[in-house]
Amino acid sequence: MTDASANNSASGKSSLLVQDARTRNRNAVEARFKWYGITAIAIGCAFLILLVTAIAFNGSRAFRQTFVTVPVTLDAAAIEAAEASMMKTSQYRKMIEAALLTEVSEANIETDMDAGKLGDMLSSSAPAQMRDFVLANPDRIGDTVSFDFLTSSRVDGYLKGRVTRESLANDKNLDAAHLDLVDQMRDIGMVEKRFNIDFIIGSDASEERPEQAGMGVSILGSLFMMFVVLFLSLPIGVAASIYLEEFAPKSRWTDLIEVNISNLAAVPSIVFGILGVAVFIQIGHLPKSAPLVGGLVLTLMTLPTIIISTRAALKAVPPSIREAALGVGASKMQSVFHHVLPLAMPGILTGTIIGLAQALGETAPLLLIGMVGFIATNYPTGPIDGFLSPNSAMPAQIYEWAKRADPAYYERAWGGIIILLVFLLAMNVIAVILRRRFERRW
Amino acid sequence: MNDMRLIDRAVDMKDIKFSARNVQVYYGTTHAIKDVNVDIADKTVTAFIGPSGCGKSTFLRSLNRMNDTIDICRVEGDILLDGEDIYDKRVDPVQLRAKVGMVFQKPNPFPKSIYDNIAYGPRIHGLAKNKTDLDEIVESSLKRAALWNEVKDRLDAPGTGLSGGQQQRLCIARAVATQPEVLLMDEPCSALDPIATAQVEELIDELRSNFSVVIVTHSMQQAARVSQKTAFFHLGNLVEYGETGQIFTNPVDPRTESYISGRIG
Repeated sequence: MTDASANNSASGKSSLLVQDARTRNRNAVEARFKWYGITAIAIGCAFLILLVTAIAFNGSRAFRQTFVTVPVTLDAAAIEAAEASMMKTSQYRKMIEAALLTEVSEANIETDMDAGKLGDMLSSSAPAQMRDFVLANPDRIGDTVSFDFLTSSRVDGYLKGRVTRESLANDKNLDAAHLDLVDQMRDIGMVEKRFNIDFIIGSDASEERPEQAGMGVSILGSLFMMFVVLFLSLPIGVAASIYLEEFAPKSRWTDLIEVNISNLAAVPSIVFGILGVAVFIQIGHLPKSAPLVGGLVLTLMTLPTIIISTRAALKAVPPSIREAALGVGASKMQSVFHHVLPLAMPGILTGTIIGLAQALGETAPLLLIGMVGFIATNYPTGPIDGFLSPNSAMPAQIYEWAKRADPAYYERAWGGIIILLVFLLAMNVIAVILRRRFERRW
Repeated sequence: MNDMRLIDRAVDMKDIKFSARNVQVYYGTTHAIKDVNVDIADKTVTAFIGPSGCGKSTFLRSLNRMNDTIDICRVEGDILLDGEDIYDKRVDPVQLRAKVGMVFQKPNPFPKSIYDNIAYGPRIHGLAKNKTDLDEIVESSLKRAALWNEVKDRLDAPGTGLSGGQQQRLCIARAVATQPEVLLMDEPCSALDPIATAQVEELIDELRSNFSVVIVTHSMQQAARVSQKTAFFHLGNLVEYGETGQIFTNPVDPRTESYISGRIG
């Protein structure tokens, strides 16, 4: 006999309008549990918002860069002399510095700096930029061309609030007098902060030139790796899962394989990295730091994910569909490829894209095969070069920037994370679209 | 269709389609079918009745080797289709299943159009030379399954969008389209309402003119209504097999009598 019925028999009749103690207690438990759930979700959302705002706040600055506009007269004699000398760019540097000094004095900005000292506010990439322009446009020699040179990362940092006069006290590159000049040049529009496309499409730069560094080449490195991963892991993974799920006899061997695949999914990615070094580089003699090797390592890492999700998708297809196909005399193969696989397709695609997204964000295995720390300054010349020549990848580039000493690189690491997240988001959107398109109800 | 028709059910036993001799079926160590001997006639509806778990579905599924898909299942003894052992090593079960079609308990149309549901079997077996042929097969199969008039205007609509009874008739049409010699039906009406059941039963009676039909059913009334021969299974044994009229009115075995009269099962 329950408590409720005991109460009933004692008091004779109980009213539905009054809650008894047991019901009140149960309702209280339910209400409490709801609040636990809401609190948990609120905490999760708070962390997410914190993360997104931190990334947006810190990273967005990397997309804007400070430029100084300097009209330089391309004097034929000076250029000829520069091209004949050993240190070509230092000759170009002198031309730019002279032009900058002229421009500053013409703008009625007073300074007692000489041209060389004034030139410290320019990025060391400026001479190369001018030389590239001259080599590409020899017909413009003699004209006066207006160049937008990158300023040094300290000037950029000053405009972004990262560098102050006090912090320059011990800096041998720039001093407070430069910043006074920058303030005046900004007032007349000579120095300006604007959107810097080179951060997205440009290549990495050396430690001393953070203002010049961009993600472009490592984005390509990541894309070449993703090609390798997609074209290896999708067919291998889907074929393995179809065999295991539909054809393999249930034996101790298949059980063993299944357990091992599940375990592989939990293996730390750095283990795959060291395996890649041992197998692909030391035994296979494939080139170090190449996206091909990175792709192979990431394929090993992605395969268990794809196999597990594909098997789950195949399992979710009702067995009645298989029976129906066999019942009309279809072979096992026909039943799988005509009926089961199309129904499992959304799940397979989702699993594949999740696997790819995981691979795209993976850094640890790339550390071991030498794709981290490599300064990828040149674009690959073609597809084969893209697979085989040394390159970096997006997360590896971010890691590399984050460990460099200059705080300007710290800002770029945040910006790189925004680019990486945009790619991941795009992949998730593709997954959702594909799932919608292939989804069929039965 | 009522019990009054039981009297005019003399069956010509000359053409035997299936002949089972000493058939044993094991699921792992469980002995599910024990020493079954049965002859199933052509152009006849044969009903398998019996309580749940008595092995009637298992035996039905061993007639087109559907049990092959279950790893632990093992069949012993001989099952002959037109005198040929279907468990012979040289027999490809896929070829066998084209000859012995099957309709399942739950309607299971493919998630494709009505047309493609019917056309799938003929396509994979190469029964149609061209599109016109295929259209004809689809039309005649749907007519045989008494579904043509209801769906002729929406052959492109998904088969899964039909009502339960229509779906089951679609599955029957699909089975008929591959031009089998035997049609196995595993409780084809258990998921249907009485009206849909009546339509399917009527259909089964018509199918008898072309095929040998074997139907497993839980409903004794249904067995009495649609079949000419009835087999009563109990605990894996074939207890009694004979003319439907005789089984229901004058059973020989006391177990059959208890089941028919509702005392066991």
